[in-house]
Amino acid sequence: MASPVYFGVRHLSPAAAHYVRKELDRVQPDIVLIEGPADLTEQMHWFCHPQTKLPAAILAYTQQTPIHTLLYPFAEYSPEYQAILWANKHKVPCRFMDLPSSVMLAIRQSKEEEQDQDQPQKEIQGRTTEEVYQQLETLLGESHDTFWERKFEQLEGNYLEAAAEFGKQLRQSATDPAFRTAENLVREAYMKRCIQQAQQEGKEKIFCVCGAYHVEGLEQNSPMTDQEEKMLPRVETNATLMPYSYYRLSARSGYGAGNQAPAYFELLWNALKEGNIQQAGYRYLSELAASQRKLGQMTSSAEVIEAARLANALAFMRNSKYPVLQDLRDAAITCMGHGNLSEISVSVAKVEIGTKIGQLPEGVSRTSIQDDFYRQLKELNLEKYRTPEVQRLDLDLREKLRVKSEKAAWMDLNRSFFLHRLRVLNIGFATPTPTRSEGAWAEAWNLRWIPETEIEMVEAALLGETVSLACSFSLKEQADKSSDIAQAAQVFEDAFLCGMPQAAEYALEALQSLSVETAAVEEISKAAQRLSKILRYGDLRRFSSQAIQPLLSQLFLRACLTMEEACNCDDEAAKRVMESIERMNRVQLDNDFLEESRWIDLLISISDRDDLNTKCSGFAMATLIERGLVREELLSTEVARRLSKGVPADLGAGWFEGLAQKNRYSLIMRLSLWEQLDDYLQQLDDEDFKRALVFLRRAFAEFSANEKSDIAENLGEIWGVNPQQMADLLMRDTTEAEQEILDGLDDFDFGDI
Amino acid sequence: MQTVQRLPAEELFKAEIEALIAAEKDPIPTGWKMSPKSVLTYICGGKVGDTTITPKYVGNRRLVEICIATLVTDRALLLIGEPGTAKSWLSEHLTAAINGDSTKVVQGTAGTTEEHIRYSWNYAMLIAKGPCPEAMVKSPIYRAMESGSIARMEEISRCASEVQDALISILSEKRVAVPELGVEVPAQKGFSVIATANTRDKGVNDMSAALKRRFNIVVLPAPANLKTEMEIVQNRVKQLSAGLDLYAQCPSEDVVEQVVTIFRELRTGATLDKKQKVKTTSGVLSTAEAISLLTNSMALAGSFGSGEIEPADLAAALQGAVVKDEENDSVSWKEYLENVMKKRGAAWLPLYRACKELN
Repeated sequence: MASPVYFGVRHLSPAAAHYVRKELDRVQPDIVLIEGPADLTEQMHWFCHPQTKLPAAILAYTQQTPIHTLLYPFAEYSPEYQAILWANKHKVPCRFMDLPSSVMLAIRQSKEEEQDQDQPQKEIQGRTTEEVYQQLETLLGESHDTFWERKFEQLEGNYLEAAAEFGKQLRQSATDPAFRTAENLVREAYMKRCIQQAQQEGKEKIFCVCGAYHVEGLEQNSPMTDQEEKMLPRVETNATLMPYSYYRLSARSGYGAGNQAPAYFELLWNALKEGNIQQAGYRYLSELAASQRKLGQMTSSAEVIEAARLANALAFMRNSKYPVLQDLRDAAITCMGHGNLSEISVSVAKVEIGTKIGQLPEGVSRTSIQDDFYRQLKELNLEKYRTPEVQRLDLDLREKLRVKSEKAAWMDLNRSFFLHRLRVLNIGFATPTPTRSEGAWAEAWNLRWIPETEIEMVEAALLGETVSLACSFSLKEQADKSSDIAQAAQVFEDAFLCGMPQAAEYALEALQSLSVETAAVEEISKAAQRLSKILRYGDLRRFSSQAIQPLLSQLFLRACLTMEEACNCDDEAAKRVMESIERMNRVQLDNDFLEESRWIDLLISISDRDDLNTKCSGFAMATLIERGLVREELLSTEVARRLSKGVPADLGAGWFEGLAQKNRYSLIMRLSLWEQLDDYLQQLDDEDFKRALVFLRRAFAEFSANEKSDIAENLGEIWGVNPQQMADLLMRDTTEAEQEILDGLDDFDFGDI
Repeated sequence: MQTVQRLPAEELFKAEIEALIAAEKDPIPTGWKMSPKSVLTYICGGKVGDTTITPKYVGNRRLVEICIATLVTDRALLLIGEPGTAKSWLSEHLTAAINGDSTKVVQGTAGTTEEHIRYSWNYAMLIAKGPCPEAMVKSPIYRAMESGSIARMEEISRCASEVQDALISILSEKRVAVPELGVEVPAQKGFSVIATANTRDKGVNDMSAALKRRFNIVVLPAPANLKTEMEIVQNRVKQLSAGLDLYAQCPSEDVVEQVVTIFRELRTGATLDKKQKVKTTSGVLSTAEAISLLTNSMALAGSFGSGEIEPADLAAALQGAVVKDEENDSVSWKEYLENVMKKRGAAWLPLYRACKELN
């Protein structure tokens, strides 16, 4: 009997896929065995279903929490996938031969537990596989991926032998930690057992597709015995196929887990099929140029030609026959991006990664996120809400003190976390509604289950394996995308509401970096207010708010440094600046770790300066009064100075308007203030008086009727009119003559103010 | 006794170049003195036989590869970067290795004319003999075309646009017409141009798209990490101060680290651990500036101080280097002091205090 063919591959390698097919055609085996969980062989036929479109992944996950997952992504250029297709076409049986997912996940779990015990790591002699890779990279001055592409993707010759030799060398030069070595040995013994089974079934020509690393192990190790097989640890698992995306494929790192440029690899795969590798490079550069043009950038054919020439010269310097992705990209940056990656980065992402998303026939997927959702629904006692009718759910986030278990005490809070996470994932199961109660601890939701919800969930599976993983991925993505601090603050608040401290920290970093670029005090003050709020109510959601403090201090410092400049503005903007001052003032009062003296110095400075918008100066004064920092004399000198003769009426009245925004009651009580205002008005000539009147009217517009009559009483007292007469005066209708004067004011020429 | 202030690269590193040529194994492009791979070794350092090749350019090896590959494809090369990123340095060494001659240079200034690019005349001879080859004064670029070698054009974006345009025909046609003599001089194989331009000069005399198209553009970055930059700064400060007799001790490692850290953080707009973003300033804050800041501080300390750089010396120099545009930079600098420096712990405290006092 002939010995089996061991075809060592790199997962997701177009050349491997190409040569596996060739070798299969040559060998014409009667069974194909593939490295992959043996219990998933039943799922294999879905790969060959006409409605299936790659990329797709095999997902196995534990049924019990914490959820552990195994993910095997496949693209069209995966050698394993091509082998499955070949077997299907030639009606040859095909099986997965690696440890069943139940065993694999059990091993993973025990490994994690072992690490949790915090044993001192045993000294390992030699280098781990990763360290060998690293050394290779240092020696070559290129990444391992580039090395692989140069040496193997462009290989013209015996791929099978070359890859097997590489795997052997790697095995010899690396010494992995005991656990990993053991895991590999167990896996290889199991694979060997599967091969033995096939042999016992009478298969003559056996074809194995496995990682290049395992070739030597399969050649030399002996198969696992029945007894050994029984001793394998097991956990309960589910397995499913799920659609995958090129974007996720590129986001995963590490050997075999993914590759950085799936769309480019597809180009390579197509070029290999056509038998002309060089085409891949040309196509890459042309597509890049096309994409640049679509984005409105001038990219001439001459530039593409020069890029191709440069890429060839770069490949030549590295002794490879055709340029690899790294050469192509560098050449494109030099010739099409004028030396800057940033000029072509959008197109590069498009051409290298692409946006392809896989598809599976309906009903095939039962992903771990769906399972996780139903489990949490049960745990949180929300199952009864899984109906098409809308049902209301009121939550009280406070700890329940009279219940027995910790779980019950925080039930509502955990529910809130869960529902917020669904909201972030755009799963339309729950929508927030206004609460009936005022307290910050209250929250209300409308819950409703419709079939679309299930679909939304499968879509969310692309983001992560469980609700919380997907949610944290989505939050991170949003944080990366946010372009101003308001957005980043929103993401942060979402993360806070979802009870995800790590995502919150990430959003906070994004917020910090965006805040550096923002100069507008309005945005800064709004963000500061939001943070301050979370700082205050963080405990309610058991959220450790320590990380917020430094950022809030930064925002506060920035506001202090730029506020004075912002006060130099027109009346339109003054309103917003005053709001900002008010917000920052509150923030400072609520958080005593913020330097009070800095804030007060700033307020004094704004209040003292004559060259800023007088409304802002008046408002700063009002804020100082509110804080009890202004003595009576100071106020009266300020009023005298601001409302003195020669000061233009609009400036004086503007200042008064700013001052009157706050502490109205205490202002009304100060008779001296009104005397001074009266003096000021008395000394104005008619024209100026009219001007001042318009502005003062606006200043008083926001006063309530009671406040106005109190002021009138004050003024009456100053003018020696008794309250009764005063009331009469105010109540009677305006005479015609007075009406005329008032109408005259409407025609008032504001000049250029 | 060596009295020339500065020798060209090919003289300074003669032994290395000869060793590389002697050990050459790979094919040599026409007009070159050594193979592209040997040029790479010359620039980035290595070992040939018994001779150790010192690295001339510390930084991204890949960029040097792109530069050399560009010249192999007979394209012109344009090096762009902030001031002090070793553009001219790299261009000098590239020509020294490729041609053994780095002296065919045209310095681009506001006063550069078209004649500097093409040719001009020896007017005495022109009047005496009329137009003839002997009366011609050839520009470095003209000579490079004749000999099939590489000419250098420094600070191209400082030249007026008509001067830049004169390069276009040379780079695309690869020939110069001399109507006075009725001849056309074609460039020999191996001819190319390495130009340098400063990003801070952007907008002074922006290069036309037509000219840019004739160049492969390589952007030279600031040193990639703190360690490399510290190494460069320490070495250069040591070399410079030895030549200048400064009577002061070289700055300690801590001082260099602090200066380079501040420069890097303000330049890149983020703290070294990337955790915190900081506001950038309008100044360039190049490695070259860090070097001159430290030598200046040494001169101060040597002439008027204790002979050792004190935080106060450093603070004044830093303030001067960082705050170029009074209004914006001083806000950024103050924020940097409070948000970053203050929180760095005991080692940074003296410098922080000294800086704060100045504000």
